Amino acid sequence: MQDPRIRLACAFLLSIAAFISIAGAIAAFLWWLVFTSRWKSIRHFRAMLATFLLFVLVAAVMVFTGTNGLSYLTRMTAILLVGTWVYADSRPGDFLATGTWLCGTRMGFELGMIAEMAMGVAQGLSDDFSRIRIAMAQKGQPWGFRRILPAGRILICDALRGADDTAELLAMRGYRGGGTLCTRFSPQAPEIAAGACATAALVFAFFLR
Amino acid sequence: MRVLLDHVTASRQSWSLEADGIFTPGIHLVSGDVGSGKSTLALMIAGLRSPESGTVRREEIHSTMLSFQFPEFHVTGLSVSEECTSWGLEPVTAIRQAGIDVVPETPALSLSRGELKRLHLACVFSQDYDLLVLDEPFSSLDCPGKEQVCRQISGRSGGITVIFTHEQCIFPAIDHIWEIVGGSLVECGTVPDALLQWQHAPPLVRRLVGAGTIPESITPEGLREAACRTRG
Repeated sequence: MQDPRIRLACAFLLSIAAFISIAGAIAAFLWWLVFTSRWKSIRHFRAMLATFLLFVLVAAVMVFTGTNGLSYLTRMTAILLVGTWVYADSRPGDFLATGTWLCGTRMGFELGMIAEMAMGVAQGLSDDFSRIRIAMAQKGQPWGFRRILPAGRILICDALRGADDTAELLAMRGYRGGGTLCTRFSPQAPEIAAGACATAALVFAFFLR
Repeated sequence: MRVLLDHVTASRQSWSLEADGIFTPGIHLVSGDVGSGKSTLALMIAGLRSPESGTVRREEIHSTMLSFQFPEFHVTGLSVSEECTSWGLEPVTAIRQAGIDVVPETPALSLSRGELKRLHLACVFSQDYDLLVLDEPFSSLDCPGKEQVCRQISGRSGGITVIFTHEQCIFPAIDHIWEIVGGSLVECGTVPDALLQWQHAPPLVRRLVGAGTIPESITPEGLREAACRTRG
């Protein structure tokens, strides 16, 4: 899907649809089957599997405590699939272009830029995790579940430090807020159809909740 | 004890690297242009990356350490104290050995690159590895820092030390010189004979060799001694 506005809108509508009801989650799943390249759109299969297992764990706890864990698992899985598709299809500049188009050159530009930076950090996370794994292995600390928390602490601190550096860099280059971006969008017919179906999925989810 | 590279290859888009050779106990220097594949070769020698083809055999090597160019890549503790402990070291001792002026509670990633490099190298040299691979160990260090690293490398009790560097001035007592030329690892030989073949030799070494004065070693003392022998 080329047009980032339609892609992000679809992701937003389908996520809400899946969150509202199981019917919405099934509709979102069907949409994912029809309009995406399905499993090929998953870039980090292991990360996705780990997230899915986390959902399974939460669902199991919910079932144990007498709430509807299956519903939770179905809805979160649909959201996860839509999320991985959006992540895989995203290109640098998408959020900036969409933000500026949607909310203007001041707030829209800044929101878009923040989203772009967040995506940049997210894309570097798996590399950073690999480096920490190697560092721990070299120090004779075998990687395991208990090591994830310390690694996460370092990644968060490093991301905050990186954000500080970026802010200083932007200020030094004279950035004061806002900016213009002249992106030309060219939505194709299948993309418009996908957008319409995502809207229909939300309506469907709303009425069948 | 040795590391054997047997028809090892690695490639990425238009870039490729081939390596054959045997690294025996001693200090080896590997030089090459930026992007020639030094870090990739370092990873393969240390066993942290598999070659696309060929094999890397580490014979009678029981402990290996690869020191990355960027010391942040080694940080697994939030504070300097946690970082030292993760290496099995007592923080105050490690800080003193690194020669930096920080308190153990200082966040590790708030140290300057140079301070972190010194701390990291102090941690690395506190252990005795059979195979020590150092990727740009002199980067981010000032001259006293580089000299300290040279002393630490020369002070190793044995084993194989492989240094990948662009350094042009300060070296420890190197035994063997290698370089990456045209996508292949080339063995120049043992110092001092290797200096005649070394294409990436620093300007001072090239000048001395050109003047017919071959330094016995490329340590600052060795180069000074050779320069004193040069006429004119």
